[in-house]
Amino acid sequence: MNLKFIKADLILSIKHWLRSTGTVFWTILFPILLILIFGAIFSGGTDVEFDLILQDLDNSDFSDSFSSIFNEIKGVNLINLSEDENVKDYMQEEDKRVALIIPEGFGDTISEYISSQYDPNSNFSDDELPFDLKLIVDPSDQTTTSILQNIISSVIYQFNMNITGGLNIFSIDQESSVGEDFEYIDFFVPGIIGFTIMTSMVYGSIERNTKYRKDGILRKLLTMPVTRAEWIISKMLFMLFLSFISTFVIILVGYLTWGLSVHINIFFFALVIGTSFMFSGLGMIIGRFVKEEETADMAGGAITFPMMFLAGTFFPLEQMPEFLKTIAQFLPLYYVNEGFRNAMVYADFDKTIYFTGIVLIFAAVFFIAGIFLTKWHED
Amino acid sequence: MVEKKIQCPKCKKIITISGNYGDVKTLRCPDCGTEGKFSFKKYYEDEDFAVEVKNLKKIYGDLTAVNDISFSVKKGEVFAFLGPNGAGKTTTVEMIESIRKPSSGTIKVLGKDISSSFDDIKEKIGILPQEFHSFEKYTVRETLFYFSQLYENPANIDDIINAMDLESEKNKLYKDLSGGLKQRVGVAISLVNDPQIIFLDEPSTGLDPKARREVWEVIAGLRNKGKTVFLTTHYMEEAEFLADHITIIHKGDIIAQGSLDDLINRYGEGSILRIKNCKTLGIFDFLQDKGFDISKEGNGDIAVKLKNREEALEVLSILKHECVEYSTIDIRRSNLEEIFLKLTGSKLTEVSN
Repeated sequence: MNLKFIKADLILSIKHWLRSTGTVFWTILFPILLILIFGAIFSGGTDVEFDLILQDLDNSDFSDSFSSIFNEIKGVNLINLSEDENVKDYMQEEDKRVALIIPEGFGDTISEYISSQYDPNSNFSDDELPFDLKLIVDPSDQTTTSILQNIISSVIYQFNMNITGGLNIFSIDQESSVGEDFEYIDFFVPGIIGFTIMTSMVYGSIERNTKYRKDGILRKLLTMPVTRAEWIISKMLFMLFLSFISTFVIILVGYLTWGLSVHINIFFFALVIGTSFMFSGLGMIIGRFVKEEETADMAGGAITFPMMFLAGTFFPLEQMPEFLKTIAQFLPLYYVNEGFRNAMVYADFDKTIYFTGIVLIFAAVFFIAGIFLTKWHED
Repeated sequence: MVEKKIQCPKCKKIITISGNYGDVKTLRCPDCGTEGKFSFKKYYEDEDFAVEVKNLKKIYGDLTAVNDISFSVKKGEVFAFLGPNGAGKTTTVEMIESIRKPSSGTIKVLGKDISSSFDDIKEKIGILPQEFHSFEKYTVRETLFYFSQLYENPANIDDIINAMDLESEKNKLYKDLSGGLKQRVGVAISLVNDPQIIFLDEPSTGLDPKARREVWEVIAGLRNKGKTVFLTTHYMEEAEFLADHITIIHKGDIIAQGSLDDLINRYGEGSILRIKNCKTLGIFDFLQDKGFDISKEGNGDIAVKLKNREEALEVLSILKHECVEYSTIDIRRSNLEEIFLKLTGSKLTEVSN
């Protein structure tokens, strides 16, 4: 193994990259722009989703009449959940975004409040108010949750007005369905990381396989004492450098700008490496069948851009029609996005293992296919 | 002095002749009168050759790109592989460089068969591929350093920079260099391992005349340093200026090979002296009577085919003594363009374009 060449190749590749402002833009600045723009848009939240889970733990006449208000709101599809079901588990299994829990004591609070208005000897104190209803939301879908939050707030406000004429007898205690207090940006950033690695790897591979071929660099290397393995290793080291540098810059900007909160663990590193190999392999496969540099760029765009939108990079797949969800199952970027989200955000060990495993399988298949399909010698 | 026995191609009589290596003898068959030339070629040992190609063939489907060609390149010479675009030059050189696989035939480089020993040969050859462009955002020095790191015993890259007169360009990015300088860097890259043979595939294609001349100077400098240069080109002037040995390939076949003088002697018309716009009557007959091979052309021009330098001086002397009136005189030697035209029926420049 010619380590001095691998070292020289890595160092000079980094220099070359730093001198290529266009490449630096697409690898670093473009994802940062996406974070800033999408973060700003979705921090406000505007979208439509109507399924509302309601679990009534009070089972009183008052709670019945309260929940019946939601049935009368056009567009809200109320799903009543029995007392013995775990709301968060149900939300995850059924891909539901918002749940409202009416805790035990809801009816008693109203009764006691009303009594206190007529009974001067009542022990009821306003200090015990407001009585909190529990709202559980999935922060990955900021748009849906914000609409339902507004609806629920309006209903509670109206309910308060009807009972007290102004005093807030009820309010909302909100928590996240994924166990921690996440923002939309926490869910968006893993998608941007997957997308950024995908584009830089695919286009990097295409450049090596078309531009280097056109410029005679591959022909020259064939006549020099470098093995195919040494060349691939040196290039993959550089590509991994690119992946990690852009990933860490994305996380850093997300943290500094939007207070990003993510977990960095062994699966995160495995996913960065696996994704880099996977999409480098895909680029090599594209480069095998498309000879011209410009055509290869277009072919790369034709594959990566639809994949970006169809694999749930910017929007949760649950908002998409069924057939698009089915298509996503065949897209490697979907597993990358879900892998990063589960590893970095949900901290769901089982799903992280599952998605990381699939990413690594994709990586092995694509990379090996890419190596074997790449032509080193001319006909 | 060596003695050779040859057979008359017409009557099959065996004729014995003697001469020294390098001599070209004109002989006449004593039986049938057939005339011909025989050259006493030097006998070379295997180790004298940098490249030996035997019965090389490359077939793509119905197309025979290289058709059973054989040639050899002596160590220390500039070997020009001349031919129009599509003649099979690059296909041949890329087979020698192990980039393409031959359909049949054998190739030896520095005495070793490339099919089994190319990994050893890689350390001893330098290559400038056709239309080569290096990494755009490496400086000249970084470029040479990068490629030098591939070799076990790289040459000193600062020495190469000096030798190639790239000192003032060494910190410039490759993309900012002129076409001529890029080619000079390309040649410099091929020297990073101090190779014995340098393959230059169309090194001056696309360059302006000044830049092309600069590249020629670089190549001439390599020969002066004792390097073997295998040059593929479709520029006849390049081959004429640089080559010790020229092999002409056309449609996959080798149609002629030898030194420039050999080729001109064998296929050319020698040198022609032209008396332009001659106004003195009788000078044509006078020269003819003196035994000159002479012909009339348009506008009163007279063409005298010269056998040697002395004949040229004699014609000039006659023109002076006879007070011949004319506008100008020029003497032109046959060139590769004419040879190519004679051998193929088409001009090299036209075929290349």
